[in-house]
Parts: sequence; C-alpha cells; structure tokens
Amino acid sequence: MWRRASTWAAEAAAVFAKEWRCEFRTRYALNTLALFALTTLVTISVSLGPLGISLAHGTGVLPVLLWLILLFAAAAGLPRAFVHEEETQSATALRLAARPSTVFAGKLAYGATLTAALEALITPLYLAVMSSAVARPGLLIAALAAGGYGLAAGSTLVAAIIAQARGKATLFAVLSFPVLLPLVLMAVALSREAFAGGGAAGTTAEMTLMQLFLYDASVTVAGLMLFPVVWNP
Amino acid sequence: MPASLRFDGLHRRFGRLAVLRGISGGAAAGEALLVTGRNGSGKSTLLRCLAGLLAADAGSVDYRENGPPLGAAERRRRVGLVAPDLAFYGELTVAENLVFFARLRGLGRERGEALLARLGLPGDRLAGALSSGMRQRLRWAWALLHRPALLLLDEPFQNLDAPGLAATGRLLAEHLAPEDGGGEPGLAVIATPSPLEIAGVAARLDLGG
Amino acid sequence: MESLKSTLAWLLWLWMSAVLAGAFLYAPLAQGFIGQSSRILFFHVPMAWTAFVAFLAAGVWSVRYLFAGRHERHDRAARVAIELGLVFGLLATVTGSLWARIMWGAYWNWDPRQTSIVIALVFYGAYLALRDAVEDGEKRARLAAAYAALGLVVTPFLFFIVPRITFSLHPDSVVNARGKVEMEARMLQVLLASGTGFTALFFWLHNLRCRLLALEERAEAREGTRAPDEARVGTRAPDEIARAGTPASNEAAPLATRASEGA
Repeated sequence: MWRRASTWAAEAAAVFAKEWRCEFRTRYALNTLALFALTTLVTISVSLGPLGISLAHGTGVLPVLLWLILLFAAAAGLPRAFVHEEETQSATALRLAARPSTVFAGKLAYGATLTAALEALITPLYLAVMSSAVARPGLLIAALAAGGYGLAAGSTLVAAIIAQARGKATLFAVLSFPVLLPLVLMAVALSREAFAGGGAAGTTAEMTLMQLFLYDASVTVAGLMLFPVVWNP
Repeated sequence: MPASLRFDGLHRRFGRLAVLRGISGGAAAGEALLVTGRNGSGKSTLLRCLAGLLAADAGSVDYRENGPPLGAAERRRRVGLVAPDLAFYGELTVAENLVFFARLRGLGRERGEALLARLGLPGDRLAGALSSGMRQRLRWAWALLHRPALLLLDEPFQNLDAPGLAATGRLLAEHLAPEDGGGEPGLAVIATPSPLEIAGVAARLDLGG
Repeated sequence: MESLKSTLAWLLWLWMSAVLAGAFLYAPLAQGFIGQSSRILFFHVPMAWTAFVAFLAAGVWSVRYLFAGRHERHDRAARVAIELGLVFGLLATVTGSLWARIMWGAYWNWDPRQTSIVIALVFYGAYLALRDAVEDGEKRARLAAAYAALGLVVTPFLFFIVPRITFSLHPDSVVNARGKVEMEARMLQVLLASGTGFTALFFWLHNLRCRLLALEERAEAREGTRAPDEARVGTRAPDEIARAGTPASNEAAPLATRASEGA
C-alpha cells in the first residue's frame, strides 16, 4: 500500500517536473499569462483615471476587477497544458506510459503553481496601482490561495476535455466559465470582505471560505474520478 | 505461461465510415503477426485498438502475460508502440525524454542509455530538432524502454537509412527470440502497406483496401 | 404495451387540462401579489422543477454511461434530458422574468435565482456545443458525459451557495427557510398536480425523443455499412455483385422488425 502510494506520487512528481522543465525552456505560459494580466491591469488602471476610484466605491469594484484579470489570464494560459500535448501528439506517449490519475495530479499541480505565481505577481502590482489598502490581508491571501487553486482545478479538467475537440480556444471559454463562475462569485465575495473589513449582511467570511474549500475539494475529487475516462477511451 | 495475444471480431467505425469490420487474429510468444493492406484499410486503427488507445465498437482483445487477460488500462502501460503519429516533447532533449518516460515507469536510466547507443541516437539533441529518420529511431527506443512483451509496430521502418534498418531489425529479432539470459520471447504485430520480409512472421492478416 | 402507452398519453393530456383549469378557475389568488400575477406560480415553479429533474437525470445517466458499461442508450438519454431541460429551464426563466416585470418593475435584475438558472443554462448549452465539436461518436459520448457529470458537482454550488452570498428579492421557495409549507391548501393542490404533470410530461417527451433518435441512428448505421460496398461495386466481378445483392436486400427486414419492437 505504502509502496504503491509512493510510486504514484513519484509518477505525479515526474509529470509536474516535466511540465515546469518544458515551461522554462519556452516560457510560453509564463509570458502569455504575465503579459495578458499586465495589459489588462494597465487598461483598467488607465481607464479608471490617474487617481483610481474613491475608496467607498473601490471596495465594491476592486475585487471584481482583480478576479476578472485572474480569470481571463488563467483562461489564456491554463488550457495549454493539454492542448499543447494533443497538438504536438505527445499525448499518446504519455497515455501509454503514465497512469491517468498521476497525469491529472501532475498537470493540476503545475496549473496551481502557475496560477499562484501569477497571483503573486499581479496582486501587489494591482494594489499599488489602485493605491488601495486591504483591511484584512490574511483573508485576501486565503481567498487568492483557495480561489487560485479552484481556477486551476476546474480549468485542468475542462482543458483535458476541450483538447480532444475542435475549436479548442473558444470551446474552453464556453465550457469553463459556467464551471468557474460559482468559484469566482465566492472568491469575489470573500475578497470584498477582505478589502472592506466588515462582513456583508448575513454572511461571514469564514463560512464563505469553507465553501470555497468545499468547491476546491469537490472539483479535485471529480477531476480525479472523471479524468481517466476523459483521457482514455 | 508466456505472453499471447488474440483478438476477435473487432469492429470500429468513424462516423458513417466502417473502418474495421470483424477483424480477428493473434500471435503467440516468439511470433509476429504481419498486418498488410492498402492506405486507409484500417491497419493503424487496428493497432490503436490493440494498444487500448481506441475503443472498439464490438469484438474482444485477449492479451495476457503469465496470467488472466489484461484490461485496456493495463494493456496500455504494457505494450510498446511504434507509430507514425507518435511524438515526444520537442522542448526536451532525446535523453531527457527517455529519462522522463523511464521515471513514469519506475525505471532507471541504464536501459535508455543502452538503447540510445544501439540506435545511434544523439542524446543531447532536442527532440524537436531531429530528422525524420532520427525521430523514427527515437520511437523505437521509447517503445523498447520498458522491455514490453508485446510490440505494436505501425510502419516501423519508414524513413530509416541502412544502419537504422539494421539496428531496428536486430532489436526486433532479439525481441522475438532473445539470446540466452535475455528473458522470455516476446510477440509483435507489424502493420505495413508494402510487403516486408521479416524473420519470425508466423501469420499474415490482409485487411485489403 | 402499445395500448397502455397511448392510454397513459391520454391520461397525461387530461391531467394537464385539469391543471390548466385548476390554475385559473379553482386556485385562489395569493396575497401581496399584483393582480393575477400569482397564477404564474403554477407554471413557473413546476417548469423550474422539471428543468432541475432533467439536469439531475442527465447527470445520473451520464455517470451510468461512463461507469456502467458504456451503453449508447444512456448517452442518448442524457443528451435528450439536457435538451428538454434547456427547454423547460428557458420557459421557467421567461415566465419568471415576466412575473418580475410585474412585481419588481424590471424583466431582469440579477436576482440570485436568475443568476443561478442562467449559469446553469449556459452550462448545459455548453454541453451541446461540446457535442457538436467532437467528430467521433465514442469520444463525443465520453467527453460530453464527463462534462455532464462535472455538472452534478458544480450546480449545487450555483443553487445553494451563490444565492446565500448575494441579496435576494425572490419569494420563499415552496418549502421555506423554516422548513414548513405555508400555502393555501387549494393553491398547494394545484401546484403539486402541476408539478406531477410537468414531470410526467418530461418523461413522456424524453421517451419519445430517445426512441426516435435510436431509430435514426440505427438507420444511419445501416447506410454507413452499406456505402463502402456500393462504392466498390464497380471493381467487382459481375457474379460477385449478384451474390452480394441477396444478403443486402434481406438486411432491410431486421431493421423494420426491430423498429416495431422499439415502439
């Protein structure tokens, strides 16, 4: 049992390491995500004016804009994990060598670390450009961690589905947004409380955070169960 | 009991086009099954069904290695496949590719290094920068990495030069009839559009066209 | 079997007529609603409920397709359930927004329930888009079923959690927060009858459409297997064509018999 678990983990780690090694050679996803996020950030910041928006208004709007940047940047970079694999036809070799669950775990770990890196780059910049103070930084970090992981988990499974279909890029947007929207709504609600400090009527930050974790766990389990039948006939 | 392969009544259609219509055949240890047929007759489809990469609409595949028949998931990890659409990670070197697949299978690097030497492959070259002949040699190295008992070879000798043909031919012969201490004899299914003379071919299956 | 089914269809027709009459003539108006607007309840709520049942059933059929033997009929059942669920869901949205125009003054105001149902409709619309984007039948069924199964995991968040984090004007659900049904008895009777009727209507439509699709697919498969033979006729010797002719003409017979079995 222990031996099987350790070989499973070693396989998943091999996939994860392979993803990052290929990524560092081309820096495709890193460049795309970072440039996409930066462009959107500049656009938002410029169109809102040099002084940003007044704080009263800001705590309502700022979290929404932040999560929109993250959502669209993730949609631009995350599907590549599988699309590239199918397009270069290396998917067949991977199918024949690795267990499907380890492929999913490795790719998910890659997507989650990629999203975390993106958040670490964008969030401080965003806060600086919008010159906005965060009332509860810990809560914002928790929202970013749980929300970012959820983005990666939902996107990884949907990416595996669309990679085998026609019209991959558009299809990813169509299929992933209804899956990710509940997550984004929860993450926005949580970030709003982190920005403003007080809790909104009838909700507590802790409960929303628990539900965010529940979403992450459900999508991960669903992914582990469904990925084998998506990946292989 | 050595490995054996038997498939019966395989059907597969793509949309309205029925590609395989009741194909049967098999091979025992030490034997090769030669599958011939024109372009589009379903050779690759048959091999993909045998490898577990494609679900057949009807029919059965019975492949076993010293035990009960293996399911599609097990079969996928056991077979060695050489196919024209098989590709590797172009961003990684040839050696890195083999090390990655060896790690997935829980193996060391020795076997990969030995195969690189025997096939005359440049280990430090990026897999994306290989010539078509070298790519074909890499497919062979990848397929033999985990010493599979069943080799599925789809046009295995395309683009190979004389040394490449000699090296792969020797590897195939050793696979079917290992020298002393080289383990049990394996089996192979070889698909080719043009007739081939290969030692060890025990049966032929013509898909026509 | 055939006569039983047609009797059931007639019963359904009578039942739905009675529901229609009951909604307008028998049930009283609810308090606090403008004009006759509360009567939409007898159609809006059952349609939303039926959409929910359809999507749930589609999820279950998809899981059965994936993990219980890959039977085409399960894939077909899931797809048809989602198509019908979209129809019922769209009707529920339209009736709901007509009512919202009367009561809240606007057709649309992103009430949590409106948000949830729109995201759900987009999700199942995406399911159909996915089916169109995959060529191979086996792969199409497999990928679509996985997506529908993912829906089973995601939609509870839409219906239970999203409404909680946003403010709602929507009236209490039929069973309210206190876990009690607070509704006038005659209204409740009509509502339950209507819910039963709409659910039965769904399963009746579902059954019809599945049978129709099964027949279509079978007919198409026959054509598919014959087409290559016909294409090759030119290269064959005449006696071969004569031999091939006999079984081919017999092939039409089993299709006809099986079609009547299916009905």
